[in-house]
Amino acid sequence: MNNKNKMRKTLRSLMAGAGIVGAALSSGFTYANGPALKAGQEYMVVANYPNQIHVLDLQTDSLLKTCKVPGAYGPGVLQVAPDKKTVYMLTNHYEDVYGINVDDCSISFHTTFSDRQNSIRTKSLFSMALSPDGKELYVMHNPTKLNRDHYRVQDTYLAVYNTADGKGAKPVRTFPAPRQVTVMATGKDGGLYMAGADIYKMDVKTGKYDVHLPSRNWERPLYVQPDVLNAWPIQTPSKDFTILYTTARFQDEKQDLATADWIYGYLNVDLETGETETTDFGPITEIYFTGMKSPKDPNLVFGVLNRLAKYDVKQQKLIKAAELDHSYYCIAMNHDGSKVYLGGTYDDVAIYDADSMEKLGNIKLPGGDMAISTSQIFIR
Amino acid sequence: MKHLKAINNKAQLLDKAVAEDQVEEVVAMQSLAGCAATTDPGWEIDAFGSVTSLCQPMESDLYGCADPCWWPAQVPDMMNTHTNWNENALDSGESWRNLGTVFPSDKK
Repeated sequence: MNNKNKMRKTLRSLMAGAGIVGAALSSGFTYANGPALKAGQEYMVVANYPNQIHVLDLQTDSLLKTCKVPGAYGPGVLQVAPDKKTVYMLTNHYEDVYGINVDDCSISFHTTFSDRQNSIRTKSLFSMALSPDGKELYVMHNPTKLNRDHYRVQDTYLAVYNTADGKGAKPVRTFPAPRQVTVMATGKDGGLYMAGADIYKMDVKTGKYDVHLPSRNWERPLYVQPDVLNAWPIQTPSKDFTILYTTARFQDEKQDLATADWIYGYLNVDLETGETETTDFGPITEIYFTGMKSPKDPNLVFGVLNRLAKYDVKQQKLIKAAELDHSYYCIAMNHDGSKVYLGGTYDDVAIYDADSMEKLGNIKLPGGDMAISTSQIFIR
Repeated sequence: MKHLKAINNKAQLLDKAVAEDQVEEVVAMQSLAGCAATTDPGWEIDAFGSVTSLCQPMESDLYGCADPCWWPAQVPDMMNTHTNWNENALDSGESWRNLGTVFPSDKK
């Protein structure tokens, strides 16, 4: 390296250092630009570029406040803790989790997965969940050893954190866990449901796990293996862990794809009881990235991507669909099931009446795209 | 594989995986090990051979695909390699013109 290049590099690192100090002094990443949340009120949290969490007041369908989060954005998966005050965010290019107190935007928890000293890069793909009492955080770790001349994929494992360990938290337990797990949810009994090739249930004390609801390995006569997209761990008002699938059902043993029925359905775990469902709800006519059962009528299921669609599950029939201004990835519904809130992709949340499917409005977010983030609705 | 002979380490590892019935697992981790091998169709054509179920407009899908390194052949891998690709275009719908192409030498 010549001297000029050396100087440039030094200057650049000095400027970067000054920038960090400046940002820390001016904001400390803890300022709140809005009031504390009120007990009994319904809110929505969404995340977007440049690494921030917004709290939306669903009584007025407006932006209440914005909390800045340190580090870089992505994927912006949010999980609301049982205290309805702490929001955990998977961020910094899938390598960190921050716990943010949305009353004052202070940071109550932080962990970073990668071990740079030993050249281990660890990511978690959307897979983060909290224990029912909020004392433990579960994160899938997918480590890769970055050698100088080649990378080596390491075994995947579940990391358990004590949320009380605050900033700099390290796993207090780890367990070997299946590969390809992307989204997770905890049941009322404390068991951890992990959706990957199948939906597993893990005992978080012992690490023992079994297939709770088969997906790739389902055995349904005349059905082909399902195709699923698991990237949004949505905490639903009905306490359902719902994953959409597409599949084909042959007419007979000849297995002729030309005459097969092409079907949309959902895999569901009732997080209160552990009960499972594998239910077809209609023909495939378009793609949905996320879907949700209505909190007020479990016979209604909604799906979203380019349209918001509503199905009658028993009749396996599309009831109505609404055209959207643009694609939205992530669906959410308020607790009485009257409104659907669409997030992800760009920087606005679209609101629809769940009965009439008419558009009620948009909430524009300051900042940039939500991209692949998971938004959540909760009552404080 | 009958007519192919493994001559380097990577190929021997693949042979080993076949012998131990672990091929599925080798494939499963591709997106985390540099994510250069995703070949799913999906950005150019939808599941029906059409375009109506592709995201609309395509900009709305841009960072959902770049952040998790979903379509690394079509958009830069922002998960590992070009993490600052959109620093001047945080709102893709408004400022996509600020996005540029990337080359290996651009990596910082």
